Amino acid sequence: MLSSLFIAAAEDGADAGKAIALALGIGLGALGAGVGLGNIFGSMIQAVARQPELRAELTGIQWLGFALVEAVVFYGLIGGLLAFVLI
Amino acid sequence: MTRLLALATALFLVLPSVALAASETGEEEFDPAHEWEFETWVDLPFGLDINKAVAYLMLGTIVSCVLGIVLMRVKVGKEPTKRQAVGEMIYEIAQVQVAEQGLPTKAISRWFPYVASLMLFIWTINMLGFIPLPLSDETWHGVPTLAIFAATSTLSVTLALALMTWVFTHYEGIRANGTVGYFKSWIPEVPKALLPMIIPLEILGQFMRLISLSVRLYANMLAGHLLILTFIGLIFLTHWAVFPLSVVAGTAFYLFEVVIVVSIQAYIFAALSAIYIGSAIEPEH
Repeated sequence: MLSSLFIAAAEDGADAGKAIALALGIGLGALGAGVGLGNIFGSMIQAVARQPELRAELTGIQWLGFALVEAVVFYGLIGGLLAFVLI
Repeated sequence: MTRLLALATALFLVLPSVALAASETGEEEFDPAHEWEFETWVDLPFGLDINKAVAYLMLGTIVSCVLGIVLMRVKVGKEPTKRQAVGEMIYEIAQVQVAEQGLPTKAISRWFPYVASLMLFIWTINMLGFIPLPLSDETWHGVPTLAIFAATSTLSVTLALALMTWVFTHYEGIRANGTVGYFKSWIPEVPKALLPMIIPLEILGQFMRLISLSVRLYANMLAGHLLILTFIGLIFLTHWAVFPLSVVAGTAFYLFEVVIVVSIQAYIFAALSAIYIGSAIEPEH
């Protein structure tokens, strides 16, 4: 599947289009997740700077948010791979 | 930390052996996706065949049982050992960070064992997935090659775990609030005119939980393994000269996965299970 992505993309126009679509889809998904992660960690820094004593409590929430946001990229990846294989 | 780094790098240099074995046969080009095509090892009736993923699951079960017994069953009253400290740390994370965040106080004694074993089990399987083990479909002169593969990077495994949480959620919700009361608690307080739109969305939302819970873990582990294998595969797909680059990039992803993703995903799965079960027992409105 993946090597056909690398090699066939160079030979076949349709496969090249699919490869570009897959890369674009994942890239845009990563863009959104990047903004979200930046927000989470930025807010965490601010919160700890203002109230350092809350750090332990906030860390759990921070990692919860991190995992929830980070997963969005991989939904894009799975959707892209499914589309690449099925269509 | 230095020792950990050296260990990870050494482990990592072993990984290309899979690809080497595959390229040696010469029959097929190297393709990371082959890692997810399973050959049947032991043929059993009713589709209970044993393949690579099942072997990893069995190994994970044994290792998490052993971990639990070794780390938690310690003699109390003596000087605390390192073993006890690690066991207590895991227990504290499961108690304070997972169970007490999601579950209401009255339900902790009933559901703490479930979420805690969920956390330990998923962590063990994820971690086993990043240790090169001789469990692979490829053979090199008759010996199975070392390979990395996580059972949680197959959708069936994560879907089974998510289904368990999902069924327990509704079972506990109905047990605590009664059938009518529980389903009524799904519907938020909105103007009556919006109800025909909100109710299907809320019902859909309950099923989306199932998908998001299972696909989150599955996609994270799949993407991690694909990234590492693809970077190693670049050597065989392009030119041998990219070896230093691909090994460095692959090692970076490997360390990121082992240090952060493995634990975070185990924690998140258990924490969300606790939150779902807790919110079914005590709806907010």
